[in-house]
Amino acid sequence: MLQLTKIAKSFGGVKALRDVSLDVRAGEIHALLGENGAGKSTLMKVISGAHRPDSGTFVFDGKEIAHNDPSLAKSLGISIIYQEFSLVPALTVSENIFLGSPEARGWLNISAMHDKAQGMIKSLGFHIDVSKTVSELSVAQQQVVEIAKALSLDVKLLILDEPSAVLGPTEIKQLFVVLRKLRDSGVAIIYISHHLDELMELSDRVTVLKDGHTVSTVETRTVDKDRLVQLMVGRELSQMYPPKPECREYEGEITLEIMHHDNPISFSVRRGEILGIGGLVGSGRTEVLEEAFGLTGNRNVSRLVGGQTLVFSSPRAAVKQGWGMVPEDRKRFGGMLTQSIRDNISLSSLRKVSNRWGFIDAKKEEAVVNNLVDKLRIKLEHIHRPLSTLSGGNQQKVVLAKWLNLELNVLLIDEPTRGVDVGARAEIYQIIQDLANQGIYIVMVSSDMEELMGMADRILVMQNGTIQGHLSRPDFSEEKILRLAIGAD
Amino acid sequence: MKEKLFKNNTLIIFLLMLVVSGIISDSFLTGNNITNLLRQVAPIGLISIGMFLVILTGGIDLSVGSILAFTGVAFALLSYEVYFAAGILITLLLGIVIGAASGYLVAYRGVAPFIATLALMTIVRGAGYLLSKGAPISVGAHSSSILHLGTGAVWGIPTSALLLLVVFAVVYVMLRYHILGRQIMAVGSNEEAVRLSGISVERTKFIVYVISAFLTAVAGLLMVGRTGVGTPTIGIGLELDAIAAVVIGGASLSGGKGTVANTLLGVLILGMIGNIMNLMDVTAYMQQLIKGLIIILAVVFQKQSR
Repeated sequence: MLQLTKIAKSFGGVKALRDVSLDVRAGEIHALLGENGAGKSTLMKVISGAHRPDSGTFVFDGKEIAHNDPSLAKSLGISIIYQEFSLVPALTVSENIFLGSPEARGWLNISAMHDKAQGMIKSLGFHIDVSKTVSELSVAQQQVVEIAKALSLDVKLLILDEPSAVLGPTEIKQLFVVLRKLRDSGVAIIYISHHLDELMELSDRVTVLKDGHTVSTVETRTVDKDRLVQLMVGRELSQMYPPKPECREYEGEITLEIMHHDNPISFSVRRGEILGIGGLVGSGRTEVLEEAFGLTGNRNVSRLVGGQTLVFSSPRAAVKQGWGMVPEDRKRFGGMLTQSIRDNISLSSLRKVSNRWGFIDAKKEEAVVNNLVDKLRIKLEHIHRPLSTLSGGNQQKVVLAKWLNLELNVLLIDEPTRGVDVGARAEIYQIIQDLANQGIYIVMVSSDMEELMGMADRILVMQNGTIQGHLSRPDFSEEKILRLAIGAD
Repeated sequence: MKEKLFKNNTLIIFLLMLVVSGIISDSFLTGNNITNLLRQVAPIGLISIGMFLVILTGGIDLSVGSILAFTGVAFALLSYEVYFAAGILITLLLGIVIGAASGYLVAYRGVAPFIATLALMTIVRGAGYLLSKGAPISVGAHSSSILHLGTGAVWGIPTSALLLLVVFAVVYVMLRYHILGRQIMAVGSNEEAVRLSGISVERTKFIVYVISAFLTAVAGLLMVGRTGVGTPTIGIGLELDAIAAVVIGGASLSGGKGTVANTLLGVLILGMIGNIMNLMDVTAYMQQLIKGLIIILAVVFQKQSR
C-alpha cells in the first residue's frame, strides 16, 4: 500500500529524517515505535503531505507520488488522527463526521446525515447518539467519531498518533476491536504509541525509528518487549523502574478525607511511600487530586498531617503549605509553552529568589534554575528558550522542577509520563522515587498499570468516584487492578 | 545582537518611518516639530502602556477613552473646590476606583474583559457628561499650574514626554525584574498553569486594570494641561488607538507576548503617521484611511517575518 524508501527531511540545519524506509501493506496494522524526537511526527507529516521530503521515493497504491500535498493525500485515501482531536465540540456527531465532506455542501439533509452517521458508528460496533454534540461525549467516544470521520472519506491508509494516550484500559480494548475490523476489511493502519503492551497485542509488524533512521522492521510475534526497547534505546525494560529502598520505616502519615458530591473518600499516605491511584478514565482519580490540592474550592476536605488538621481551599494556600501538583494535561495546566524554561521553573518559587520588595535577583534565580536543570538532567539549549522547544519528557521534567525549589511536603502527580519517551521516563521515575526517599509524601495517579506497579508502594483503585480497594506491593497484578477498576470484585 | 535587531520588526518599521518622514518633509526633523510630536503622543503613550499590561494578561480595556474624558472633567470641576495638589490626588484616585471596578468584574466575577470594560466605558462616559452637563469646563485660576504639565518643558524636553519616559522605565523594570511583571506575563501565557503554581491569578488581573485606569487618569491630567479645559467629549475611540499601538508593537492579543519598548515604538509610529500627514496637509478623512492602511501593513510585516 505504502512504500517509502530512503526518505530524508531537514529543517534548517536539523536533520529530522535521515534515512527512513517504511513498507506498510494493505490489511495490516503496522506499529511505529521510537523515542520522542526519533522522527515519527515528521514522518507522519511527510505521509500526510504537510511536509515535502528532501529526497527519497514515496509510492502509494503502486503509483509514485512526486509532489504530495495535504489535499492530494486526502484524495488518495490517507487519513490521520492526531493526538489532539480535530472535532468541533459544539457540533453534533453527525455534523462533525460530514464536516468538510463533499456531501455536505449547500443545503443539508439532516435526517439523512443522521442516519448515515448512525450507520457508520454502528458498523464500528459502537452505540453513540449522533445527534449529541461532541462536547457531551467521553474521550473514547470522541475517538470513535474521529475514526468514523476518517472512514467517511473512503480511507485506504489510516494513521493513528498515540490514540491510547487519552483512553482507559476498557476503551483501548474497544478501540482495538474497531481497528482489527478495519484491518480485516483491507485498510492499512499505522499505529503510533509509546505503550509496548498495546503494540505487542495489536500490531502485525513493528518499525522502530531512532534518530531519523529506520532501525528495523520486525514481525511482532517474533519479538518481545525487551527486544523492542533494546531496538529503541538500547536499554533493558527491567531497568525502567528505580529500586525501592530496602529497609523502610514510615514515620508520619497524611490522612485525606474528601467529601465529593456527598461521597466521602478517605485514604492515607505514609511518609516515604508512593501511593498509586488506579482506575479507569473518569473514575474520579483526577478529581481526588484536584480536591486535595484545593483546586475546586471545596471546603469539605480535611487533611490530617501528623495529627494536625490542615484546611485550605485554593492552590495558593496549598502551595504555602508545601503541597505541589503535577497535572495530567501538561499543555493546558502544567506549563507555559511560550514562556522561557527559566520562567516556568521559577514560577512557583519567585518569592524565594526575590527581595522583600518583590524584585527578582536574576543571578540567584538563574543559579537555582541551572541547578535544577542539572539535577533533573533536563536537556535544553538555553534556559531562556521557550518551553515549547523541549521534547515532551523534558517539558515534564520542567513541570516537576517547578516544585523542587520549595520546601515540598506533598506532591500530587497526575499521569507522570504521558507523552514521554522511554528514555526520559526512566529518569522521571528515578526523580519521583528520590523525592519519596527524601520523605515527601507522593500520590500518583496513572492509567498505565505497568507504571503503577513499578512505582507505587501501595495502589488504591477507584471506580465511579469511590475507592474499590487497596493493594499492597506483594499483591500487585494487572488482573487485580483491572478487576477492581471495573467493579468485578 | 545584530540578529536581535532584525528580529525586532517594530524597530525597523519605526526607523523606516523616521527616514521616510525626514525625506518627504523638511519640517519633520525640526526641534519644534519633534517637541510637538512628543507632546502629542505622551497621553496616548501612557494609555497604551496600561493597555499593553492588560493585553499581556489576555484581557482588553475599552474604558480608557471614557476615563480620559471623565478624569479631565473631574479635575476641572475640582479646581474650583480644592487645592491644586488635592485636585490631582482625587482625580488619580477616581481613576484607580474605576480601574478597580473593571478589575473586580473581570478578576473576581469572571466577566469577560471586553464586556466589563465596555460597560465601564459607557458608565464613565455618561458620568462625564452628567458632571459637566455636556460642556467643556475651564480649569480654575489657582490650578492653572496644570498647564506646566501639558505645555512646560524641562531642559528643553516636554514635561509630558518626560513623564511618559519615567512611566515607561518603571514598567520596563517591573516587567523584567519584579515578581508582578513575571506574573502578568505568566497569566497571559497560561492562566491555569499559574493558578496551579499557587499564584493568585485574580489579584494579578485586578492589578493590571487598576494600573491601566490610573495611567489613563494621568493622561487625562496631561490633556487638561495642554488646553486648560476638561472636555467630556474627548477620547472617543481612543481605546482603539491604544490597542493599535500595542498590536503594531507586536504584542499578541491573546496575551503573554510582547515588550513595553515595542509598545512605545508602536505609539511613536502611530503618532508619526498623524504628524507627517498634518505636515503634508493631508485632509482628516484621508488621514484616517491612510492610517488604517499603515496599521495593516505594519501588522502584516510583523506576522511575515515571525
